[in-house]
Amino acid sequence: MEEPILRYEKIDFLGEGQFATVYKARDVKTDKIVAVKKIKIGSRLEAQDGINRTALREIKLLQELQHINLIGLLDVFGQKSNVSLVFDFMDTDLEIIVKDNSIVLTPANVKAYMIMTLRGLEYLHQNWILHRDLKPNNLLINREGILKIGDFGLAKAFGSPTRINTHQVVTRWYRSPELLFGARQYGTGVDMWAIGCILAELLLRVPFLPGESDLDQLSRIFQVFGTPSEETWPGMKGLTDYVQFKQFPPQQLRHIFSAAGDDLIQLMESLLALYPPNRCDCTQALQMTYFSNKPAPSVGSKLPMPSSICKVETEKPSLKRKLLENIDGGSLAKRLQF
Amino acid sequence: MMPGRIGNLPLAAENPLGLSWHDSAWIPLLSPSNIMDYFSERSNPFFDRTCNNEIVKMQRLSMDQLQNMTGLEYILLHVQDPILYVIRKQHRHSPTQATPLADYYIIAGIVYQAPDLASVLNSRLLSAVHHLQCSFEETMSYSRYHPSKGYWWDFKATKPGLSPYSIGQSSTKDASSTPKEEPSTLFQRQRVDMLLAELVRQFPLPITQTTNQSNGVTVKSENSTDKNAEKTESNVNNITIKQEPVDPPVSDMTNGGLQGHAEIKTEIKQENMKPPPEKKPRL
Repeated sequence: MEEPILRYEKIDFLGEGQFATVYKARDVKTDKIVAVKKIKIGSRLEAQDGINRTALREIKLLQELQHINLIGLLDVFGQKSNVSLVFDFMDTDLEIIVKDNSIVLTPANVKAYMIMTLRGLEYLHQNWILHRDLKPNNLLINREGILKIGDFGLAKAFGSPTRINTHQVVTRWYRSPELLFGARQYGTGVDMWAIGCILAELLLRVPFLPGESDLDQLSRIFQVFGTPSEETWPGMKGLTDYVQFKQFPPQQLRHIFSAAGDDLIQLMESLLALYPPNRCDCTQALQMTYFSNKPAPSVGSKLPMPSSICKVETEKPSLKRKLLENIDGGSLAKRLQF
Repeated sequence: MMPGRIGNLPLAAENPLGLSWHDSAWIPLLSPSNIMDYFSERSNPFFDRTCNNEIVKMQRLSMDQLQNMTGLEYILLHVQDPILYVIRKQHRHSPTQATPLADYYIIAGIVYQAPDLASVLNSRLLSAVHHLQCSFEETMSYSRYHPSKGYWWDFKATKPGLSPYSIGQSSTKDASSTPKEEPSTLFQRQRVDMLLAELVRQFPLPITQTTNQSNGVTVKSENSTDKNAEKTESNVNNITIKQEPVDPPVSDMTNGGLQGHAEIKTEIKQENMKPPPEKKPRL
C-alpha cells in the first residue's frame, strides 16, 4: 500500500473550523483537486475518547452515501495520531454567493439551488439520516454549478421510536420551532424548516430569522407566522422548554417576499409550517408546482460564481490569448480564435 | 377613453385599458425619485411583482443591476414634472437591447395604461357602430306600414305601448336629463335668442329637401320589426291616417329622416353619459 500522505499534495490552506483544518490538495494518483480535512487532535481529555465524534459521524455515514448532491468522501487516511478525510473539492458555498452583492439571484437560479438541495436531502432522508445542520454555509457549490450538501458532523440516523436526540442541533437561525421548544423526538421536519429558511435567505439576501438568542429566535418566528395555539399545534405545551409567548398575528408571506410567485409562496408555507407534521418532506416539496412551473431552473454553467472566483477564470484565457498573440503576431488566424 | 373604474381590480385580467389606479396617500408626495416606488405599490394592478425591479428590490441590491438582468422590467421613460410621468414595461434581452411591452402614464397621480393603436381603433369603431345601430333602431320605431298605403313615418305617435324601444329610451331620458336641468340666466336666454334670430336670418328655413336614399334602404331591410309595427298598427291606424299628408311616401320619408336625425343627436349625448344600455333584453 502506498503512503497516503504522499498521494495528496497540499496546494492551499482553505479554512479552519472548530474540529478541523481544511486544505486544498492535488490527488497525485488521479490528478484531481480535492479537499483534505485534517481532524484536530484536541486536548488530552478529548483524545482519551478516541477519534473526534463529528469526524466519526462523517466517516460512518458518508462512506455509505453516494449522491450527486451530497459531498463525496473519497478517502480517509491516518498519519501518526491524525485522521484526515478527503472530500470532493468545492469552489464556493451558498453563503458566499448570498453575501456577494454583485450577484443577482434570478428566480431560475433560486429554483436550481432548491432542486439540488432537496434532491440531496431526499436521498439522505430516504436512508434514514437527518443532516441537522443545514445552512447556506454547508451547501457547497463547485465550478460546474453543482450543489452538494456538506458537513455531516451533526448528521444522525433517525426513526427509532425509543432513541432520544439532543435538541441542541442546527445553527440557531435555521432551527425549527420544535427544536427551540426542546423536542427530543423529531424527524425530517427539522431539516425541512432549515431548507425553508435557506430559501427565504436566497430571496431576501439576508438571514430571514436572525435570532439573537433561542427565545428571540422563537419570538421572531412567531412574529412572522403567528403564535401557535394548542389547536394549531397539538401537544406544543407538553414540550420540555415550552414557554408562553405573546400573541402575534400571522403575516402574509407574499408581503415579505414581494417578488415571489404564488407557487413559490406555497412551497415556502409548506416548508415553514409551524406544526411539524404539517411540514412537507423532500419528495412532496419536489412534486410541488413551483418546480414544474416556469421559469426552468438554471443549468449549472449558468449559475453565478462569486467575483473572487470569476476573476481567476477570466485571467486564464487572457493569458492564453497573450501567448497566442506572441506566436501569431496578430495575424487573421488569431482573430478567428475569438 | 373608457370610464375609469377605480378599485375594480378583477377587471384587470379582462382589459387593463379600462382601468385606472391611484393611492391618494401618495399623490401629494409624488416626485421623479419616488414615482417608481409608487408604481410598484402592491395594489397597483398594472405592476407585475415578478419583474426584475421587484427581485432586485427584494434582494436589497442596487437598481443598477437591472441592466445586467434579462426579463421583465419597468423603467421611468419620461418625466414632465410635476404632473405627468410615463413608465415603460419592457423585456430586456441584454444590457443594450430591450423590447417595449407597454407604456403607462401617470397624470396627477392616477395611473393608466396607454392603449395600443389597435385598441384605440377598435374602441372608436365599436362606439361609432354602436351609435349608428342605436340611431337605426330609433328610426325603426317611427316607421309604419299598412298594406294599402305602404311605408310612412310617424313621429306623433310616441304614446307608450307603441314601440318597446322608444319606451325604454324616453324613460331613461327623463330620468337622466331632467334632474340636470338648471334655470338659465336672463343673459343666457337673451343671448341665445339673439343668436338664433341671427342664424334664422342668415339661413332661412328650407322648404323642400333632397332625398336621402340610404335611410329608406335600411328601413326596408329591417323587416323583422315590421311585424311589431303591423301588430300595433290596428290601434294606431285611425289616428295616423288623418295626420298622413297626401304627399308621396318618398318625401315623407325624407322629412322623417330629418327629424330622425335630430333625434339621433340627442341620442348620442345620452349614450355618452351612461354605459351602453342593455337594449337587447328589453326587445
